[in-house]
Amino acid sequence: MAVSFSDRVQVAPDVLFRLAGEEAVLLNLNTERYLGLNLVGTRMWSVLSSASSIQAAYDELLREYEVEPAQLRADLEAFIDQLLGQKLIEAGPATEVSDRQA
Amino acid sequence: MTVETATSGSSGCEAGVDPRYRYGVYGIDVVSDTPLALPEYAHGGLGRVECRSAPASLFLTAMQGVDFDRRSDSWYRYACLHDGSTYVRWDTVGEFLVAADGRRISCRRVEASSLESFQVYMLGQALSFALVKQRFEPLHATVVVVDDHAVAFLGDNASGKSSLAACFLEAGHRLLTDDLLILQDSSNRILAYPGPPRIKLFPAIASRFLGRTVKRVPMNADTDKLILPIDAHRSCASPVPLKAIYSLAAPRDVCRRQSVSIEPLSPREAFVELVKSTFNRRLVNPQRLERQFGVMASLADVVSVKKLAYPRAIDRLQEVRRMVLADLD
Repeated sequence: MAVSFSDRVQVAPDVLFRLAGEEAVLLNLNTERYLGLNLVGTRMWSVLSSASSIQAAYDELLREYEVEPAQLRADLEAFIDQLLGQKLIEAGPATEVSDRQA
Repeated sequence: MTVETATSGSSGCEAGVDPRYRYGVYGIDVVSDTPLALPEYAHGGLGRVECRSAPASLFLTAMQGVDFDRRSDSWYRYACLHDGSTYVRWDTVGEFLVAADGRRISCRRVEASSLESFQVYMLGQALSFALVKQRFEPLHATVVVVDDHAVAFLGDNASGKSSLAACFLEAGHRLLTDDLLILQDSSNRILAYPGPPRIKLFPAIASRFLGRTVKRVPMNADTDKLILPIDAHRSCASPVPLKAIYSLAAPRDVCRRQSVSIEPLSPREAFVELVKSTFNRRLVNPQRLERQFGVMASLADVVSVKKLAYPRAIDRLQEVRRMVLADLD
């Protein structure tokens, strides 16, 4: 993965997100590419986009799902790589919670 | 679901267009300087488009210094002009210039084209540019009316939408539209609007389901497909509530011995099918994509969308029709 778990991710500009039932769809208006998220992907997206860091997102997901930590880490890294590759998120140094965007 | 539309504004016709030729199609008020094979204006108000004939010189002037889109080929050419208008041409059919606001289409038919063929392209492909510019989101769909409700079939070209619809017509159901569908949210229901009363079919399908007596005109010189007018008792000229959408699996994805299947789609899967079924894929800009994203997601939330898979054999279509009718019940 190109980023560190101490980094934080945020939704890239010009990216649309919409819940579709319990799943979701994303669109990057610049690349004109869509991405569909299944139930777990939708939850990962939701946690990642609101967490103060990738580590915090990982910790939250580990509490929610019955999964081996190493498996979750691998899945989360692969997911983040896919999102970065499609320019749906941007990653950077984590900020303090009080500075976090709503 | 809300689709913003441009209002007509003036109640009369602009100078230069004969007000005698006024029609309604897709819920749009179409004013033309030549007669069109459309019902008289009855249901409009969603928007307005003026179609006027123009000489070749108008198009030559407009296209000076303009390059065709890289996806153009020798038969179909398309270009966006600097003033926001759109030029589109089919070599053996004619050429069109769609104004930036989508409210006017200048048209010229080539001599080799039949009137019927020209109108198919004018009221389908060319008009779709005007519709998108007026902030509509047309779907590539053929729709029949079953028990006063619209049933839409989505699919790519040559996926069998019209053939399946013809099978429904054989059973006494009516055609609402062939190829292009406009939907509008109205009083908490989705209304499907009627298209031109004609259907495009290959000869074998036309003969099998509509009979040999129906008038038929070749669509263009490069296909055997025919244009068949549908009379008033087999077509529906009023908007009807949408009941269901069936997305047809591609013929190449269905084994010949496979049984007919209907599978419900999740809202996410339905969204994908709807976006794939957009009628006009040429006008792509962030504003349009954003609008389309919202419209299709909203539609997927409220309408039943199912995957319909069946072998493309003419003798299987009645079985498909029976299964769809049973599914609707």
